[in-house]
Amino acid sequence: MNDTVKPTRITTVPRYGDQPADKLYLPAIYAGIKVTLGHFVRNVLDITAMETLEYPEEQPTDITSRYRGLHRLTHREDGSIRCVACFMCATACPAQCINIIATERTDGIDEKMPEIFAIDTLECVFCGMCVEACPCDAIRMDTGIFSVTGKTREDFVLQRDRLLSHTGAFETEQTRNKEASHD
Amino acid sequence: MTTAQILVTLGSIVLAALLALLMIPVLVWLERRVCGLIQDRPGPNRTNVFGFRLGGVVQSFADVVKLVTKEEYIPDHIRYGRWIFLLAPMITFASALLAFMVIPFADTVQVDGAALRIQGLPVSYGILWYLAIGSVGILGMVFGGWLSHNKYSLLGALRAAAQMISYELALGLGIISMILTYDTIDFNAMVQWQSGTFWGFIPAWGLFIQPFAAVIIIIALFVETNRAPFSVAEGESEIVAGFFTEYTAMKFAMYFMGEYVAMNTASAVIVTMFLGGYQLPWFSTAALLEHFRTVAGVLLLLVPVVMTLFILWMRRNNRVRLTLSTDGGRGRETRILTGVLIGTTLLIEAILLWLLLEPAGSIGASVAVPLLQIVIFVVKLMLVNLFIILIRWTLPRFRYDQVQVLGWRYLLPAALANLFVTSIIVAGVGS
Ligand code: SF4
Ligand code: SF4
Repeated sequence: MNDTVKPTRITTVPRYGDQPADKLYLPAIYAGIKVTLGHFVRNVLDITAMETLEYPEEQPTDITSRYRGLHRLTHREDGSIRCVACFMCATACPAQCINIIATERTDGIDEKMPEIFAIDTLECVFCGMCVEACPCDAIRMDTGIFSVTGKTREDFVLQRDRLLSHTGAFETEQTRNKEASHD
Repeated sequence: MTTAQILVTLGSIVLAALLALLMIPVLVWLERRVCGLIQDRPGPNRTNVFGFRLGGVVQSFADVVKLVTKEEYIPDHIRYGRWIFLLAPMITFASALLAFMVIPFADTVQVDGAALRIQGLPVSYGILWYLAIGSVGILGMVFGGWLSHNKYSLLGALRAAAQMISYELALGLGIISMILTYDTIDFNAMVQWQSGTFWGFIPAWGLFIQPFAAVIIIIALFVETNRAPFSVAEGESEIVAGFFTEYTAMKFAMYFMGEYVAMNTASAVIVTMFLGGYQLPWFSTAALLEHFRTVAGVLLLLVPVVMTLFILWMRRNNRVRLTLSTDGGRGRETRILTGVLIGTTLLIEAILLWLLLEPAGSIGASVAVPLLQIVIFVVKLMLVNLFIILIRWTLPRFRYDQVQVLGWRYLLPAALANLFVTSIIVAGVGS
């Protein structure tokens, strides 16, 4: 216990509910009903007054560029895969859901590339660690895709080509790539 | 009995059963939609049969199908009294249903010289029946909770029983004061009593004559039906689901439906006792019969207006969003429903026109007046149901001790005081 600290910042919160009108409770019920009935009448008269999205007909428009959506594998300037199969992302992944099998790269652009690059989105916790870990900016989560659907478990394991086919939703890949090369 | 008498009797039994049973899906739907609309979201509006959503009512039927086809599961630890465990939901459901049967939907009709009651159960001691049968429902809850061999269920049953005991008193005393006021235990006679006016313009409804008793009885009925803000017996946040924690599939549905039937019954009692029942304000049954042509003429003008407004409202709101082109077939549904509604309107208009032109004193008016009264009753019933639902989504639940304090310390003395004052006034007026 520290005796020197004085309780100077204690404020007394006013207590309600002791007045006869509060004890009666009926005025409060009346006030509450006024609010709920107001909302009810407004929405009954005009169903479009509600903010609720009628998903899937309406899609959200307020996804920010910082939103961690589904992953994608980025491309180099010449359009080939950027990933060098260094396994950094797979190592960083807390859910251990990235499965990479590396292969030699024969087109002379680099030495290694993934033959299989699969992310099991059923296990993924969308933490973004893989994006942080990647030394080549080869994996990003800026697709803005927030829903994954499928009929089998395999549908949820995103393979390399599917990941390559995703595009960034917020800037073109080229601009981001240029920015990346500046620093 | 003549054929006409048998027909009328059967008709009122069927009507009572339909009003109680068909109300369940409608009330479940109403609850969800009203809750949604209050919270600025649409509520269930997707389930459809051949593109017909009917605003979402179809969802309730889908739920019934789901509950019927679900697995019936009886936990292994329930060894003793399994049959009572199975019987318990039915007790609750049946008692709620039977209690509804004494509500009059229209004034007595004279058929071949006999006065027939338009009630499911043509008895003259309606209130006693309601109090007796309505209270049996608690037995189902107590049995279910006790035999579930589960502490949550037991606590739920205990709470339900304690709550029932503390509020049954206030309810009973409140009802006694109403019996003194109306000088009858017959629901139909109560409604007839309310057909007059006092001071010339206020309809002599129980609500205006005994506002204090009305508040007491309405609160007590909320507790009787286990509705929020008094739903401590279920208490989702504290005791899982209360007395029906161990119930699955249709057994659960029985409790669930019983709750809605009980709510409907409570609304019907409120309508009958305080809101003039099937009576139009300022119009007693005799007055309706006498001025039937005027009433029919007014209806002739009113029905198309109401229908037009409804169709306009439907065309505006039966769609996903004004700005969207896809509407999931709602446009087609709107067109078909518009056609159906226009057809109905024309039919009603034709009937009204025929009633207007028909010679005085024939059978037309004596059939149409009860029908009109049934419609009025249903409209009032739905409004009170809406009110009860609105209350549920407005108020937070009371804590259990608050419920008891409210019941014993405030409601019971209030009901007693009300009873004394009523007795003195009734004795004073009578002498
Ligand atoms: S987002 Fe997290 S869990 Fe998902 S793959 Fe990347 S590192 Fe693993
Ligand atoms: S995505 Fe990045 S971290 Fe993962 S293997 Fe490829 S280059 Fe390495």
